[in-house]
Amino acid sequence: MLILDALTRDYGHFRALDGLSLEIADGQLHGFVGPNGAGKTTTMRILATLLKPTSGHATIDGVDVVKSGFEARKLIGYMPDFFGVYDALKCWEYLDFYGRCYRLSARERRRMTEQLLDLVQLADKRDAYVDSLSRGMKQRLCLARSLIHDPKLLILDEPASGMDPRARSEMKGILRTLREIGKTVLISSHILPELSEMCDSLTILDHGHLVFSGSVEALAEKMNGNAPLEIRLQEGCGESAVESAVSCLKEIPFITEILQEAPCLLRARTEGGEEESAQALRELISRGIPVCDFHRSPMNLEKVFMEVTEDA
Amino acid sequence: MLNPILSFSVTRRMRSPKTILIVAAWLAVLLGISVLTMGSLFGRQANLYNLRSGLTCYAVLLLAQFFLLVLIAPAMTSGAIAGERERQTLELLLVTNTRPLRIVLGKAMESFAVLLLLIVCGLPVMCLPLTVGAVTLSQILAGELFLLAIAFGAVCVGILASSLSRSTVVSSVISYILLLLIGFVTALPLFAEPGEAVTNVVYDSAKLSALTPSRALSMIPPLLLVNPGYALAALLQGQLKIFSDVMQYHEMGRLLCEFRLMDRLGGQTAALISCGVITVMGAVMLLLAAAAVRGKSRAAR
Repeated sequence: MLILDALTRDYGHFRALDGLSLEIADGQLHGFVGPNGAGKTTTMRILATLLKPTSGHATIDGVDVVKSGFEARKLIGYMPDFFGVYDALKCWEYLDFYGRCYRLSARERRRMTEQLLDLVQLADKRDAYVDSLSRGMKQRLCLARSLIHDPKLLILDEPASGMDPRARSEMKGILRTLREIGKTVLISSHILPELSEMCDSLTILDHGHLVFSGSVEALAEKMNGNAPLEIRLQEGCGESAVESAVSCLKEIPFITEILQEAPCLLRARTEGGEEESAQALRELISRGIPVCDFHRSPMNLEKVFMEVTEDA
Repeated sequence: MLNPILSFSVTRRMRSPKTILIVAAWLAVLLGISVLTMGSLFGRQANLYNLRSGLTCYAVLLLAQFFLLVLIAPAMTSGAIAGERERQTLELLLVTNTRPLRIVLGKAMESFAVLLLLIVCGLPVMCLPLTVGAVTLSQILAGELFLLAIAFGAVCVGILASSLSRSTVVSSVISYILLLLIGFVTALPLFAEPGEAVTNVVYDSAKLSALTPSRALSMIPPLLLVNPGYALAALLQGQLKIFSDVMQYHEMGRLLCEFRLMDRLGGQTAALISCGVITVMGAVMLLLAAAAVRGKSRAAR
């Protein structure tokens, strides 16, 4: 169990993280989403014991990352948003080196190196030099490095940045495997759809504030509830029909905002559910307005993200 | 377990073609020196005159290696910590619970190992003067020991500079400046007037010959013992007595005082003490470097 309690971090006068509180259960694949400067990296660096919070606490299985950094480091695997690879070193030597730094025995190192190279699909590159690998491969090797001491919690900062779609999907596959073997994974991205596909739960941050935290389904539900209504009138229906439609909608109390997107396309923001939309449709038709399409426009996650961070 | 930083740095260093080139260049310089100084007697029978050229060869080899080591060490060490910072891998190491002192020690040992390789490679060339009987094997080994101490000291300065800087280039600049400063500051006692207690003894041949080595040591300014140049001069004087001519002149002031005291102490002993002091200072610098690694990563927090 990972618990963040009112985590705050200031850089001079700038508050990068403002009282972030969060609980993440074991075995979750948890996504951190937010635009650049939202505080994702700051949070991850605090958890990785590389940064001290100005105030607040963070504990991993009851181990405080600030007070008992030494113990906490054994529980976490950290992969930053840069590679951090050495030249003139082979893949297995690279992993072996970090294994030695963690003081693993020769046998454990050999076992973990082979296992991890398999996991990240680099077994055939075992003896290749690290600097000869492609970006995607380096990224995967770094993932293997962060797993060498078999940590409980894996912190991945923007693991998909700069990857081509194929590399991304390979990375996703590996992360799913990790979840299956029971690791808690914390992953950040500034792209929500990328994470929503594989994460169990999400935290959306903006300007150091928590905007949303919960399961992906909860997020979708929250957003779809107030997805706008899209009303398309018959082509060439004339301005008078549009005007009467607008005035009709304005009379309906649960419609908060009406936008004319195209000559014959209206978008209405609403508060309320199915019943209210049915009522609106009835009203429009009873006034003889030529409605030919009436639906809630499905929110894609990109829109959700834009909307959520806008509100904050 | 062997320090992981050491073993993996050595692997990477030995894979670099640069290392082989450095060893080759090093040997070429040493061989060049021996040919220039002793070349005239290759294939001839030795006589008293030849003996002198053997002495020159030994002295110049020692001098050349001394300067080359001090010159090469910063280049070897500049990337040690600063390079990890440039590559952003220092944090990754710290996350593995590897203590800063362990990192610093591993890096220092690795750089020292390369210099050790150069010194050992140069040993056969250093033995050339043996063929004409100019020096003894034990003298050569004492010379090698001196070079090791110098290499260690220079590496420590370089590591300290590297731990203080963000980039490899800055690190090289800082370590050359530090080395120059150390050379200059520790030579400062030579510019001061010697005290009356010293002059009374040094210029009085009866008192001078009655001076015990430990008493002589107490008269040598401690700062001077840190100076690598002093160690070199003491070694050459102790082994070859090459400064004995200088000591005939009475107008040399401070320098002469120091030479006379050094002679009373015994040149090789003075060199040994000086090397010991340099080694201890080096170790202190490594501790400072570890503190700098810890401090700098904390500053980032």
